[in-house]
Amino acid sequence: MQSRYVVIVNVALMGALLFMDTGCRTKAGGWRWPWQKDRSMEIGVGSLTDPTMLENIDVANVTDEIGGLVSGSRFEDTLQAVQGINLSPVYFAFDSYALPPPEVSKVEQVAQHLLQNMNHVLVVEGHCDERGSNEYNLSLGENRALSVRSYLVNLGVSADRIQTRSFGEEKPAVAGVGEEAWHLNRRGEFALFQK
Amino acid sequence: MQKTVFALVVGCCVLAGICFDVRAQASGAPPLISVVKKGAEKNTVSLAGLKASGPNGQLFLRTLTRNLELSGWFKVAPSGAVQVQGAVADAGAGVQSNCRVAWPGKAFNWSKVSLGQKEVRHQAQQLADEMVRLIAGETGIAQSRIVFVNRRGKNNADLYVCDADGQGIMQITHDNVAAVGPRWAPNGRDIYYTSFLNGYPAIFRMVAGTERKALAAFKGLNTGAAVSPDGGRVALILSYEGNPELYVMVLATGKLARLTRTPHGSEASPCWSPDGRSVAYVSDIARTPQLYLVDVATKQSRRLTYKGTENVNPDWHKKGFIVYSTRRGGQYQIVMMDPRVGESSCELITPPGDYEHASWAPDGRHVICSSRSTLYILDTLGDPAVRLINIPGNWMSPDWSDR
Repeated sequence: MQSRYVVIVNVALMGALLFMDTGCRTKAGGWRWPWQKDRSMEIGVGSLTDPTMLENIDVANVTDEIGGLVSGSRFEDTLQAVQGINLSPVYFAFDSYALPPPEVSKVEQVAQHLLQNMNHVLVVEGHCDERGSNEYNLSLGENRALSVRSYLVNLGVSADRIQTRSFGEEKPAVAGVGEEAWHLNRRGEFALFQK
Repeated sequence: MQKTVFALVVGCCVLAGICFDVRAQASGAPPLISVVKKGAEKNTVSLAGLKASGPNGQLFLRTLTRNLELSGWFKVAPSGAVQVQGAVADAGAGVQSNCRVAWPGKAFNWSKVSLGQKEVRHQAQQLADEMVRLIAGETGIAQSRIVFVNRRGKNNADLYVCDADGQGIMQITHDNVAAVGPRWAPNGRDIYYTSFLNGYPAIFRMVAGTERKALAAFKGLNTGAAVSPDGGRVALILSYEGNPELYVMVLATGKLARLTRTPHGSEASPCWSPDGRSVAYVSDIARTPQLYLVDVATKQSRRLTYKGTENVNPDWHKKGFIVYSTRRGGQYQIVMMDPRVGESSCELITPPGDYEHASWAPDGRHVICSSRSTLYILDTLGDPAVRLINIPGNWMSPDWSDR
């Protein structure tokens, strides 16, 4: 019985499709994009009774293991950027997220600025050179940002005034191959926001 | 002269035997560079009896030929044990095909109408897959698709999709912002990936026919989304509680479970076991990025790789093998491993170079990877690599759909 229903529906669809070119409306109400195969023609595969077509699209609020709601807004989404203040980037050694001693004075300057401007908050942005897996480099970039954040917290800046983001290898400062370019890309940058 | 030839043949057999045997004894032995294989045996197929007329008919024939060869199980030749006969002709905006596929002792008929030019290629892909299924007894890959990234420059990229034979390339995002790690959901329809659309890394999912929605945009890092084989959960990398850790989210409820607790190491690139009970992932708790395996229920992790300075980007096929990229001697190669046996089962499937980001085809035989700004289809049974994309771009991060 069910397969007969599916056949009738598919034949009806075939007729409807004869008059259409690219996208067409499925019974579920959405549009099928051109890159998707016309699975409605195949009985049993992606037909209208296939449960995957009806799956829930919206994900419920995200909660952690003890039932707490995972949230927390990002400075980029809620605050205005502060323009005109230049904080020098810090540079890292290959495959490392430890803050090298020569870079410490730059972080101290950032701490000083934050302690003198209590209405400013900071996003530290971590980057990598183009070598290695770009997925792993997102994590490494995040670690670089976290390492700088740690340092700032130790210098007295309150932790809730510093957030992090990683660009991995996706936003190099300098294009090119070789240590000269790579060195300049393994960096942490600073973005200020106003509360 | 005959004795010399005989001795040479015996010598070659012994050598081949040694080559294959060395792999079995690999534990403790230095890694092999590569085992030279001649490629799988192929069925010769003749399409000479298939009359193709009109531009769509010709497109059908070209697509069929290309996909039969790319499957690895066929060689198209003027005459062959397998014969495809009949006619394929333009009909309306599409094509009408009436074929008979015959091979010793068996045959099947194939009659289809396609309703538009886009369907013509799909029909030929369907026929190729039917032939792989019925003649070679294997899973066909012609109807599957590959999603990948074109990284144009500083924080500028977009996602593209193409058919398994490299045709039908379509740009599916037009954001001109960094995009990382697109992965198909098992339904072969939804794509999960990391986008910098909002100015920071967030996980998005593109659900067929509707707009794209953010799945995770918490503080810190949101990346690495991989949907479980049953489609109900997604593994992901989040750092909202500290540094990047591995989590699993149930899609229907939004409930998160944390699988790693490594304040001194970071995780990346999760991929599911075929039975959905474990997740293989990358972690640098041992200082360099290596592969680990975590049991989702018990949260117990064990290390999988020790050789090489990096072992990254795992992908796990339901036939049981994990394919990944290993860095040895400063160069990257694609390797496959049986996780039930461990690293001693490793088999290198590319020479040293810069081969990265491997993903299994549905047949568990072919692998897509990136190398030098383009994508290659590799064959674990030894056929030469095939370049997938020939148009200019910085093509990378491929993922091959499950169907």
